[in-house]
Amino acid sequence: MVSTTAPAPKGRGTGRSSLGRIATIAAAILVTLAFLYPVIYMVSISFKLPKDIFTVPPKWISTVTFDNYVSYFNQARILPRMINTIIVAAGASIISMVAGSMAGYALSRMRMRGAGVVGGLILASRAVPPIALVVPMFLVARKLGLTDQYITVILAYVTFLVPYVVWLMRAFFKSLPKELEEAAMIDGCSRFGAFFRIIVPCSLTGMVSTLIFCIILAWEELLFALILTNDKAVTIPVAIAGIAADTEHGGLWGPLAAVGTLTVLPVVIFALAVQKYLIKGLADGATKG
Amino acid sequence: MSVSTPARRTGAAKAPVRGSGNTPGRRFRLGEPGTAWLFMTPALVLLAGMLLYPIFYTLWVSFSDFDLALFQPTGWVGWKNYEAVLKDPGFLESLKVTGIYLVIALPLQMILGFAIAFLLNVEWRGRGVLRALFLIPMVVAPVVAGGIWRMLLDPLWGVVNYTLGLVGVGPVEWIGDPTLAMASVILIDTWRWTPFVVLIAAAGIMALPGDVYEAAKSDGATRRQTMWHVTLPLLVPVMAAAFVVRWLGAVKMFDIALAATKGGPGNSTNVVNLYIYEKGFRGLEFGSASSMATLVLIITMILTYFLFRISRRLENRW
Repeated sequence: MVSTTAPAPKGRGTGRSSLGRIATIAAAILVTLAFLYPVIYMVSISFKLPKDIFTVPPKWISTVTFDNYVSYFNQARILPRMINTIIVAAGASIISMVAGSMAGYALSRMRMRGAGVVGGLILASRAVPPIALVVPMFLVARKLGLTDQYITVILAYVTFLVPYVVWLMRAFFKSLPKELEEAAMIDGCSRFGAFFRIIVPCSLTGMVSTLIFCIILAWEELLFALILTNDKAVTIPVAIAGIAADTEHGGLWGPLAAVGTLTVLPVVIFALAVQKYLIKGLADGATKG
Repeated sequence: MSVSTPARRTGAAKAPVRGSGNTPGRRFRLGEPGTAWLFMTPALVLLAGMLLYPIFYTLWVSFSDFDLALFQPTGWVGWKNYEAVLKDPGFLESLKVTGIYLVIALPLQMILGFAIAFLLNVEWRGRGVLRALFLIPMVVAPVVAGGIWRMLLDPLWGVVNYTLGLVGVGPVEWIGDPTLAMASVILIDTWRWTPFVVLIAAAGIMALPGDVYEAAKSDGATRRQTMWHVTLPLLVPVMAAAFVVRWLGAVKMFDIALAATKGGPGNSTNVVNLYIYEKGFRGLEFGSASSMATLVLIITMILTYFLFRISRRLENRW
């Protein structure tokens, strides 16, 4: 969508003169770089030795070391935590996608009494602050011996992912032509058949961008993970919070930057690879529904 | 992949439907409502178990005495926890801190976001690239964002203070001073979230109908007049929508404050979510934590309800 010469008015907000145009483009580039700088800075710190991090003036170029990635990673068990995060994020996202898409479909395309109320409640649940849920989750998980297990964290994440998926997918299904499942059902498909065989395949773009949003949201979640895990199932954000809490001792900048880089890197690659759909999904998610 | 649907126009098209569309399935008789509920079941079961039940549980804990030995709520104590909480200066201050954060950060991010979106709207070859790059701060986990900025803002070794030093300012105690710590949290939050507004705004600007501008131009409107009387009013629905989504995220803010300032110094950046977390899980005061959480839930729901209504009205008006 980025490169389309949309019917959009051309060059509004820019000077008519080419000088003004160049100045605006330069400003746009500068602003973008300013927003990227903290990430670039983090990546560069992650490859520095402590003596090169703690210097005045800051060193732009220094010896490259992988020390922060190697020695610290074993000590803090970063890799298993990364795997935990992947399992939890994937599990929660898939469950939420299935449940949320089905509900979104029913709300957008099917006749049912009370749809308005139920839909409204599901949307309202997007506003429930997680802090209102954590005390019971902690107490119940503890009682059932379910603390520090993937399934607990996954179910906790479902609370914010399902409403999100319902919201996005409902808007998406509404934009599909009705004839799609009408044809299928005239041919003898059931509602379920029509949904899984016709609607889902036709909605792959919407579903993929929604799934990616879910994975990102689950990937970076902190509060639930902080409360529901303590050792085996600890996720990366919890580990990072632990390292960040230590920074006043100064010594952990390198490791913090290294873990941060590894956390951000996959998501950035992912996001850039599918940026077209993500940006569209963002825009639709905000304006439709 | 179809060319981007102009977001605004689709928004307007579905406007009269309101709430949930229940007309399309019309002609399929028999058992349709039943099937619809079957489709709803997984989501409803999950939300009932993981959202509704915990909310009622929180309510229950908030009205009872929490026995730490048994580690469960025991006797009913009425409003006792609530009375204690409303007299707790820490809680009231955390509400105030959250209010300040919301009142400054959200408008700031909206204004910056739309301004940058206009800047990015100039047509040139790199436009798509710049827009894609704006995704990056958005996907940096909040904890990581807090961590990075702690380094950047470090009074001794941080790049920000070094740069300010070059122009003779500082050294500034970013995290150490109460007011500046708040400014830092807002700065970090704004860094992470402005790109989100930028992307929504950019999509909105691209979807603006071109013919209106032709008309404005042939009527001899100046560029400034066009901006104020055509462009901005047309963007109001997008602004309202972006604001609501930002609001939904901002009221849950917790991780950035935890990673960057841990609520300090003192209580100066102790947003209410962080305060309740500390009370409950550090202080083990589950009763008062639950009362506070209930109050926050109620306040959030009421404010969100009004925001939704205002935003709906704004979205439908154009």
